[in-house]
Amino acid sequence: MIAAPAMLSSVLALAEGPLDAHAAPELRWAGLALLLPLISGVLCLLCGWMKVRSKLPAALTIAALGGAFATILRLQGAVGETPVVINLFDWISWTWGDGSRFHGFTANVDLYIDRLTVFWMLFVTGLGTLIALYASEYMESDVGKGYTRFFGAVSIFLFAMGCLVMGGNLVMLYLGWEGVGLASYLLIGYYFTKPEAVAAAKKAFIVNRIGDLGLALALFLIWQCYGTVEYAALWKAIEAAPASSEWTAQAIPWLLMLGAFGKSAQLPLYVWLPDAMEGPTPVSALIHAATMVTAGVYLIARMFPLFIVNPDALAAVAWVGGLTALLAATIGMAQYDMKRIWAYSTISQLGYMFLGLGVGTTFGASYHVFTHAFFKALLFLTAGAVMHGFAGQLDIRKLSGLLKVPGFRLVSLLAVLGCFWLAAFPFTAAFFSKDEILVSAFTAKDERVHVLGWIGLVVAALTAYYTFRVGFRVFFGPVKYEPGDEHHGHDDHQDHGHDHGHAHGSHGASAAHGGHGHHGEFHPHGPRWAIRVPLVLIAVGAMLAGWPSYRTMLNHGEPNWVKTQVAQSSAYQGVAAESHGSHDDHAAAPTAAEGEHAHADHGHLVLGMDAHTAVGRLGSLACIAGILVSLYLHLINRGAADALRRTLMGSIATRWIVVGAERKWLVDEFYDWVIRLPLRLVANILSAIDELLLDAGIVNGIGALPAAFGRLFRPLYGGVVQGYAVTMAGGVALVAAWVIWIWLRGAN
Amino acid sequence: MVDMSQTVALLAPEIVLFVASMLVAVLGLSRSTGIRSLVPWVCVAALVGSILALEAVWTPERIQGARLLFPMLGKYGKALIALIGIGLVAVSAGSIDRRYEEAVARGRASFDALRVVRGEYYAFLLLSLTGAMLVMSAPDLIWLFLGLELVSLPTYIMVAVARTGRRSMEAAMKYFFLGALATAVTLYGFAMLYGATGTMQLIPMRDALAEQAAGAGLSTTALLGTILTVLGLCFKLAAVPMHFYAPDVYEGAPLPVTAFLSFTPKIAGFSALITVLGTVGWSGHAMVDHDGVRIAYEGLPQPITAVLWMVAALTMLLGNIGGILQTSLKRTLAYSSIANSGYMLVGVIVGPKGGIGAMYLFMLGYGVMTVATFGVLAALERKGEEVDSFESLAGLRASHPGLAFLLTLSALSLLGVPPLFGALAKIVLVFVAFEGGQASLAAVLLLNTAIGAVYYLRFVGAAVVNPTNAKSQEVVVVPHWWPKTAAVVAGLGLIVLPAFLSRLVDASATTVDGYVDLGEAVASDEQR
Repeated sequence: MIAAPAMLSSVLALAEGPLDAHAAPELRWAGLALLLPLISGVLCLLCGWMKVRSKLPAALTIAALGGAFATILRLQGAVGETPVVINLFDWISWTWGDGSRFHGFTANVDLYIDRLTVFWMLFVTGLGTLIALYASEYMESDVGKGYTRFFGAVSIFLFAMGCLVMGGNLVMLYLGWEGVGLASYLLIGYYFTKPEAVAAAKKAFIVNRIGDLGLALALFLIWQCYGTVEYAALWKAIEAAPASSEWTAQAIPWLLMLGAFGKSAQLPLYVWLPDAMEGPTPVSALIHAATMVTAGVYLIARMFPLFIVNPDALAAVAWVGGLTALLAATIGMAQYDMKRIWAYSTISQLGYMFLGLGVGTTFGASYHVFTHAFFKALLFLTAGAVMHGFAGQLDIRKLSGLLKVPGFRLVSLLAVLGCFWLAAFPFTAAFFSKDEILVSAFTAKDERVHVLGWIGLVVAALTAYYTFRVGFRVFFGPVKYEPGDEHHGHDDHQDHGHDHGHAHGSHGASAAHGGHGHHGEFHPHGPRWAIRVPLVLIAVGAMLAGWPSYRTMLNHGEPNWVKTQVAQSSAYQGVAAESHGSHDDHAAAPTAAEGEHAHADHGHLVLGMDAHTAVGRLGSLACIAGILVSLYLHLINRGAADALRRTLMGSIATRWIVVGAERKWLVDEFYDWVIRLPLRLVANILSAIDELLLDAGIVNGIGALPAAFGRLFRPLYGGVVQGYAVTMAGGVALVAAWVIWIWLRGAN
Repeated sequence: MVDMSQTVALLAPEIVLFVASMLVAVLGLSRSTGIRSLVPWVCVAALVGSILALEAVWTPERIQGARLLFPMLGKYGKALIALIGIGLVAVSAGSIDRRYEEAVARGRASFDALRVVRGEYYAFLLLSLTGAMLVMSAPDLIWLFLGLELVSLPTYIMVAVARTGRRSMEAAMKYFFLGALATAVTLYGFAMLYGATGTMQLIPMRDALAEQAAGAGLSTTALLGTILTVLGLCFKLAAVPMHFYAPDVYEGAPLPVTAFLSFTPKIAGFSALITVLGTVGWSGHAMVDHDGVRIAYEGLPQPITAVLWMVAALTMLLGNIGGILQTSLKRTLAYSSIANSGYMLVGVIVGPKGGIGAMYLFMLGYGVMTVATFGVLAALERKGEEVDSFESLAGLRASHPGLAFLLTLSALSLLGVPPLFGALAKIVLVFVAFEGGQASLAAVLLLNTAIGAVYYLRFVGAAVVNPTNAKSQEVVVVPHWWPKTAAVVAGLGLIVLPAFLSRLVDASATTVDGYVDLGEAVASDEQR
């Protein structure tokens, strides 16, 4: 709160220009990015109805998502530096009273397109298309009912995600927010005959509700405080009155934050994401790693003008992000299920993004979202390919040396590359994006967050360790594997027996598949082109994600492409003045304010070095140290890892570390005891009250009233028409008498 | 001088329906099965035709000549009647005469023109819809009265004609007798209004009352006349204190007729209600205190507001409470119909500043939900009988998932679960009630929505949650696509209509376009 006046002026100074949106009816075709997935979703529904038993739903979805991607690519060229609002059609537009501000509510189906929107949609639709292609092969054992259900839900997800990102007002964002939640629920619970999947789906949905409540309340308060929920008008309203001290205005960022923490799996609402891995792997890659979980980051970046005026809220975001990153990384170190490790690493990396947001570098956060989307999708998809080939096996203790297994060389190679990217190995894409975040943490004006920079470095080391724990164990070393216990990939089929026959017949790979059914000898089968091609393309994408930074390094001073994207959006409102991020690339129009701060930032020394140099070196060091430890424990001397675990378990003083990390610090149990149990108790008590008192007494009593009333007048009617007539006439007489008595008596 | 041809031209939609009703009365007696099965198609074509005719003839010049109190009411209202009418025809088609037709088709019975009711049934249905349309373009009380009678008289017969059996006969008897009683009350009110103003024409009546209001206030005769008219019309709405018949008659009538009864008399009654209240006006009234000082207030004259407030609140409350313990689906829906009338009365009390528009928006939603709900029920049968208990619906999700989904959808919409259309219409209604200074009534409405959940959720519970039982095992889908189609289209409407909410709000608000309220009538009088 100390720096509030300075920030206030900076917001006012920057408010002109970049955020003045103009209507662009000529860009209505951009609506295709929403319409195409919606159409394919409806068509998938029709396919389900018509009992289509082919890969048609996949083809429809891939085509629609590809179309959406092409639309976004075209939009990338068509949108200039200022945001545009594209009205698709009028939905809600009411005014009352004199129709002034606060006397109207408008929420049309508009698109608000600025650079941030396009940037986000580029990787959402791009990855969506590739992952749908991957899933067309991955899900093929389910061709039929399940296949259409899967692709229908994926289409709906992309439609909702489009609403969320491209919507021109908070109502559309909210509907998209709920829509992706629904799609996520449907897809986590895809194997709905499996109790764990059903429980995981419910957990995800319910935990998200808590966040959604925050978002909904924030939405109401935004309307109450600023009189609009449309971005274009909202920025103007904030510009006019940036930092109201009303508690309602102060509460908005906190409530938005709650929504973001729910969707993006941050403390204290992160618990749903690891369980969400019960869904099919392409879904884990697309929704629970690359796109949907970044919606929280998007929300805060988009609503940044509301955060920048509230330093406490920003500090809270930073702290939650930093602590989540640390907590998830420690849990990730001690898990054995490959997908779960990647899930915890996702939470941890999302923590970095929130840390970035909290220390004011929306650019760093968005950049990390971008790089993370590719390599994490790659890691999940390679894990899925392994799972697909090894009958559902994901235990890293039971898989080894896959690099040497025929058919898995490419997958293993890409997975190892993914490990390097996730570990933020020096000069990979994530290295730069993480660097951006950590430098900002060290140099933030708010001194309360500086220590998070150190935490971030520790997490970097842990990340490198657990990443390569998987990498070295699974893909290097002697060839050794046990197949999982799932006979057909990982699917649960009670009623799909005949589907299999069909699927095998159609793709001619029955030999490979058939192997699963017999426990005698297990032949892992390698993936075919529909899995390989997306993997390679995503790997290329992950590599290219570092391109903006390479260019900046080579041509010193050239602005980072991602930064130019973010800078021309609401996410940069007031950030330039606040920012202390990387100073090699001044992308945003350098203002006087920024110049001053830039000088001030160079004063921030970390270990006697300029923050940028220091973070670069320390980050590299942490990464390489983590990899080396991993190399020793999980490749060179695998026995040492078990010995270490035994040693730690042997002593009471250290035992808790192992047990705690392996049992996820008992957070789920804690929630069970502190939240679920009391709620269950209250529910039971209320249920008892309901049954004993309300149902038996009040509801049935009131419900029985008319009957009792009827019995009272039974002599009069009891279904006899004269009785009704008398009652009706009596009613009229009563009303007339009442009116005459009350009003007309004295009126003469 | 009024150009008669212009006035007649305005009636084109009604004329189309009338001609069609004569046509189907004859076609229904044809010896050819093909021609007989054409009857619902003719009805649908006529209703579509009447919408087209409405679009063609409803021009501003003609309306001016017709001297209507609510000149634009017909434009939206008649289209609404015809639209929902199509759904009601679809709900009926397939169940009227079905068993007899089957017997004829199988050669077990020979065709006997005296034993079929198809022709009469559809003719009456169209005539009743014609009456509802006529109500909306009534320039005077006589026309209004005849229109109302044309709505009701065919329905008395429809209750009896479409099914043989004691219960429907008894229901028809009750309905007819009590309807006559209510009509007498309405007519008495009309007479008093005539006595108070000396005219039957609505616009002169409005002016006369405006004069009274600007002077010493409305005369006792005028007030009592209005109140009696309102109470008489309550029969059409199935509102307190004229609601007693609804459960018995709805239960006794065949299912399609129940659907028809829950919509057509209601929209006609509400249109008549606002027409009569339009002469009294929602503005320009004043209270005279002890010192003889006039204190002007907004809204209907206070006694009328008080009566309507009480009627609305009691209608909502008794409707919803009555629905709780019913076992018959049709009885439950009768109470639901009562409760919904109560909701819509809130809009009437608020008046032309948003209230009436919101009421007609809700009417649209109610009509669509009625078609959806009854469409599903009409698509089911058990041992050749209608399905009329919650027990029979158990396990519907397993046997007919599509129908279970539609029933759930319409029940949730009736209950008011966003984003379904029923919920949004209700929100608009609550909103205008708050804006129109009827916050207490809005609160009653919301409270009643919560009570209504008890029985609306029983539909969902029965169809989706409960396991199949011995009774519901025998439930099968009727071999006709009409009711199913009606349910599917109406169900889709509940999902799709919210996307056009703003437009529908605007469209339903046009019903009061051109209406001159009492306060404005006085003002323009003074200017002259």
